[in-house]
Amino acid sequence: MSSSPQVQTQKPNQDQTQEPNQDQTQGPNQDQNQDNAKEEVKAEEKEEKKEEKREKKEDKKEANEAKREQKKEKQDSWKDFIYNPRTGEFLGRTAGSWGLVIRPHAVEITFNRSDPENYKHYIRQLHDLLQSYNDSIQERNELCMVGEYTTQDNEPVKKVCQFKRSTLRQCSGLPDPSFGFKEGKPCIIIKMNRVIGLKPEGDPYINCTAKRATSLQMQYFPSEGRLDKMFFPYYGKKSHPDYVQPLVAVKLLFTKEDYNIEQTVECKVEGSNLRNDDERDKFLGRVTFRVKVSE
Amino acid sequence: MCMTMMSMFGCMLMAWLARRTRCLRREQEGEGGFNTGPVDKDDRSPKKKKGGTKDMDDLKKEVPITEHKMSLEEVCRKFQTDVVQGLTNAKAAEFLLRDGPNALTPPPTTPEWVKFCRQLFGGFSILLWTGAILCFLAYAIQAATEDEPAGDNLYLGIVLTAVVVITGCFSYFQEAKSSKIMESFKNMVPQQALVIREGEKVQINAEEVVAGDLIEVKGGDRIPADIRVTSAHGCKVDNSSLTGESEPQSRSPDCTHDNPLETRNIAFFSTNCVEGTARGIVICTGDRTVMGRIATLTSGLETGKTPIAVEIEHFIHIITGVAVFLGVTFFILAIILGYTWLEAVIFLIGIIVANVPEGLLATVTVCLTLTAKRMAKKNCLVKNLEAVETLGSTSTICSDKTGTLTQNRMTVAHMWFDNQIHEADTTEDQSGAAFDKSSVTWLSLSRVAALCNRAQFKAGQDSVAILKRDVAGDASESALLKCIELSCGSVRMMRDKNKKVAEIPFNSTNKYQLSIHETEDPNDNRYLLVMKGAPERILDRCSTIMLQGKEQPMDEEMKEAFQNAYMELGGLGERVLGFCHLLLPEDQYPKGFAFDTDDVNFQTDNLCFVGLMSMIDPPRAAVPDAVGKCRSAGIKVIMVTGDHPITAKAIAKGVGIISEGNETVEDIAARLNIPVSQVNPRDAKACVIHGSDLKDLSQDQMDDILRNHTEIVFARTSPQQKLIIVEGCQRLGAIVAVTGDGVNDSPALKKADIGVAMGISGSDVSKQAADMILLDDNFASIVTGVEEGRLIFDNLKKSIAYTLTSNIPEITPFLFFIIVNIPLPLGTITILCIDLGTDMVPAISLAYETAESDIMKRQPRNPSRDKLVNERLISIAYGQIGMIQALGGFFAYFVILAENGFLPSQLVGIRLNWDDRNLNDLEDSYGQQWTYEQRKIVEFTCHTAFFVSIVVVQWADLIICKTRRNSVFQQGMRNKILIFGLFEETALAAFLSYCPGMDVALRMYPLKPTWWFCAFPYSFLIFVYDEARKLILRRNPGGWVEKETYY
Repeated sequence: MSSSPQVQTQKPNQDQTQEPNQDQTQGPNQDQNQDNAKEEVKAEEKEEKKEEKREKKEDKKEANEAKREQKKEKQDSWKDFIYNPRTGEFLGRTAGSWGLVIRPHAVEITFNRSDPENYKHYIRQLHDLLQSYNDSIQERNELCMVGEYTTQDNEPVKKVCQFKRSTLRQCSGLPDPSFGFKEGKPCIIIKMNRVIGLKPEGDPYINCTAKRATSLQMQYFPSEGRLDKMFFPYYGKKSHPDYVQPLVAVKLLFTKEDYNIEQTVECKVEGSNLRNDDERDKFLGRVTFRVKVSE
Repeated sequence: MCMTMMSMFGCMLMAWLARRTRCLRREQEGEGGFNTGPVDKDDRSPKKKKGGTKDMDDLKKEVPITEHKMSLEEVCRKFQTDVVQGLTNAKAAEFLLRDGPNALTPPPTTPEWVKFCRQLFGGFSILLWTGAILCFLAYAIQAATEDEPAGDNLYLGIVLTAVVVITGCFSYFQEAKSSKIMESFKNMVPQQALVIREGEKVQINAEEVVAGDLIEVKGGDRIPADIRVTSAHGCKVDNSSLTGESEPQSRSPDCTHDNPLETRNIAFFSTNCVEGTARGIVICTGDRTVMGRIATLTSGLETGKTPIAVEIEHFIHIITGVAVFLGVTFFILAIILGYTWLEAVIFLIGIIVANVPEGLLATVTVCLTLTAKRMAKKNCLVKNLEAVETLGSTSTICSDKTGTLTQNRMTVAHMWFDNQIHEADTTEDQSGAAFDKSSVTWLSLSRVAALCNRAQFKAGQDSVAILKRDVAGDASESALLKCIELSCGSVRMMRDKNKKVAEIPFNSTNKYQLSIHETEDPNDNRYLLVMKGAPERILDRCSTIMLQGKEQPMDEEMKEAFQNAYMELGGLGERVLGFCHLLLPEDQYPKGFAFDTDDVNFQTDNLCFVGLMSMIDPPRAAVPDAVGKCRSAGIKVIMVTGDHPITAKAIAKGVGIISEGNETVEDIAARLNIPVSQVNPRDAKACVIHGSDLKDLSQDQMDDILRNHTEIVFARTSPQQKLIIVEGCQRLGAIVAVTGDGVNDSPALKKADIGVAMGISGSDVSKQAADMILLDDNFASIVTGVEEGRLIFDNLKKSIAYTLTSNIPEITPFLFFIIVNIPLPLGTITILCIDLGTDMVPAISLAYETAESDIMKRQPRNPSRDKLVNERLISIAYGQIGMIQALGGFFAYFVILAENGFLPSQLVGIRLNWDDRNLNDLEDSYGQQWTYEQRKIVEFTCHTAFFVSIVVVQWADLIICKTRRNSVFQQGMRNKILIFGLFEETALAAFLSYCPGMDVALRMYPLKPTWWFCAFPYSFLIFVYDEARKLILRRNPGGWVEKETYY
């Protein structure tokens, strides 16, 4: 626990030599090649803040599991309003906040299943995303205890839990390089935003629903859309460089009747304390997208 | 190309603004209109507009009345009337239809909504309207092109509109409030007139009087029109409101002077008949009367802007120029950098909002209002808010004499008896020296003065100080009455003891007044004859003179002594009366003798001369001191009066307008015993100019006089000449204040940069033409006005410097946002929170700051050089303090973003991704990923922190703005309002940050307490920096630092 702040403080300096993030192509420009005095000042400031934050959080999380739910609720109520000096937590970035994004990255996924050129760019995105989940890479990582947090606050080098691409099965792009686009049953991969120190409670899983009268058949990989606790918490890209967040793939089993009709699908994180109903933030613990398949 | 476009746009805007402000100003001047409410010269009838200048020139000429030179028959013929029967009713009705009612035309009023609209589009409003319209436009485009348009622009548009409307309402009500002051002065009582029509006397409304009407006036009446007197019985009129002469003038049917204003046979509209009765034929009514012409001249005068209006306009130009320049530059830059039109427009809005100090004009209004209130407490009532400062800029005061410099009360000043001049006490509070009252001669003199006197105190004033009591009777007799009452006790008792048996009242042929009384001693059956009158006439009737109580024959020596005394007192500008008496011999005039006053059957010569008494309207006690203060404050005081030159000069010397040792050309000539023409006019610093000489002066000669003489007295001036004098001073670049109370002063009052009317003695017309009213009629109050005016000018500088400083930390976030693509550090809403929220009270509190040095010891500011806002002020506010403030704000901004994981190095160029709604996994420097909304919360928290940082650095700014030269340690922190302001802005900032619901309402978020301290070092730096600057400035007077940074 005490080592955590240390790790944090090293980050700004390590940043300079850090490779750009491998698993996200969307990531912002991370050229961090200045090192001016101001930055150092800020880094120091940050150190103190983080330390305080971490300590408090750990105290809370580990010392009193029973009280946690209660506290969380309380926290929710004031969270948006007044800063609470007891926990040092700040606003939306508390444990309950977690953004969801999908791949392929588009608000509206429209394609013609019989024309590979038409959906090529979607597939490329998926392949790009899954590159870092390649089994060959993931086999270097460790197998972790299923259903338990991989807490390693005191380790100087954090281990990374294995998430093999193959666990996504039909949606891994391995058996079917078109991710089901060709057959009109596309795979959408849902990923959680990385948040340092976040440890979801309960058993989080992704649940998607189509916004229409009849239900839409869907297939989840891994099964039931489970997000295993072993991938949490995240320690930041300096100390956790090869970290990959768990993914959930949803295969939308469209039938011929669904073609040419725009289908709206909403996916939510459920089964945990993670918020998925923020009025303003439509991507907090949930994500909505539209798919339209044509022949 | 961009520059050309920009400058073109800028020029157009500025020209437009200049026009606007001018209109606005004119509108405000309109408030000072004539008689009934506000005037607007723009709204005058088309005829007036067309021939405006010609009409005005015509009005500036002297009165064209000729009827006084006509015979009665001619006059009757001219007006188709009869000296006995008057007009026929039919004719009267016809004339009424032809000439209109006998009333001064109330100038048309501007509709209230027009005034309101002018407030709504003046000043910075137009820039803000532009911003608001752009907002709505941007929203409309978004609504048309996007499914879910963000409401931000709509809200901002609404907020900007609200800001403009609210500040507009505020200014409108402030103006309305000050123009309401006038309503109390409106004369509501309808006047009645007694006319003779078809031989019958009828009482009619004065408005229905027509030219040709035969009317009758008696003592106490207000004369309903200009009349040619046909017959009069002891009629005296008070022309003071028209000519400034305080002495009532007698009226008679004879033409005594070519000048209609001087002749006896004309009585003027709205002057008062003091005593006697008169009949006359109406020759002019309504606007055609002399008074009406002055009124029309007054309300038709174009006056310039007030100095402060000029300064504010200049300042608005600068700010607008900067805003338009930056706005257009960055608009074009944004287009070049590849932003969309919509984005560029939004940037433009941001820059406009950041550049315009939205609350500043309201602050200025409040500061002026506060000063106006403070001045009202000191008896200076300000009608036009802007006039508050004008006295501070004033470099020349043209003061009327009567009632302003003087007490407007004839008072006995000197006495000559026992061959010696005695000085009486003329001070208002009887604090002056007393003379020897033990002489028997004085007893006789006082007895004559008390008995040969028709004046008496009005009843029920026993508790009032003698000098303040109302008296029935003319001014000289009142003066004598009060003088005797003060020195010898009750005059009434004296009169009771000496019963009056006969009396010959004063008339212009005799030039004396006499009465015959029983003596006090019941055993003495002789009658006492007392006489007073023009000294030379009295002397002629005397054969003896009383010296030390003994009658002595009047020899040549005594006669010469008398002449000398008479000359000396006359030379002091005093009105001299001679007094004599005689105890009539009992053998010739036994008890019960019937004295016939019509066919004088008693002795009126070989009397015994007792003495002389001379009277003057003495200067007010506080005036010499006030004139001195004006002098030391670099203000030239000119006396402009309708009174005679000798009196004027005497008073001028008495109050220091002509200071001791300074001579006029005539004085030099007299001293050197050479003709006046041989004296070099340059040798004389002082001069006394007669109205009739003034008439013949060319403009150059006039300028020459005003430029080369420091001490000037204009005597016997007409209202038109007063106006010419004011114009002459203004032509030389002076800012002119005019004080006056009469109608004759009103054109000058109106034309002056600041007209100051007298609250007690002033006529309604003069009050309406003036910008300021001295409630206690005391010239000394002007000094207060000058002091307050100068102080508010200095304090406005400070207030503006304070407010403008925060513009830089408001603008720079936008510029960096556009140029280096960082997330926006400060939003438009937070900018408005600063401009209209936290900055307001502190800026206003600077109006309460006390002067740094003796502001009455320095020269008046030079309007062409000493600007309210100059480049030094801008350089300090924008270039120095503002930059430090911006650093403080950015520091807080970077700290918060870094604490949240976005290190500064990553921020540069992040904007596109940051503001991308569809990018919900933006990665920070630590690998965390953020949704759009999460980032925005951080961003808005940064806005809040930036805002709080500005508040923190504004603490220091407020403290350094307290002084321009002194250290704050010299000035002290005694300004309680300022201290309150510091707490208020802090509390407001905390409220905006921590109040639940603010995240939804204003998108302001709670801050960690530590984030408040980010700007502290910068606040400290500002304080140290400016203290150091001011230290160097004080150590090296006139040095580089002063030249470059003293604003």
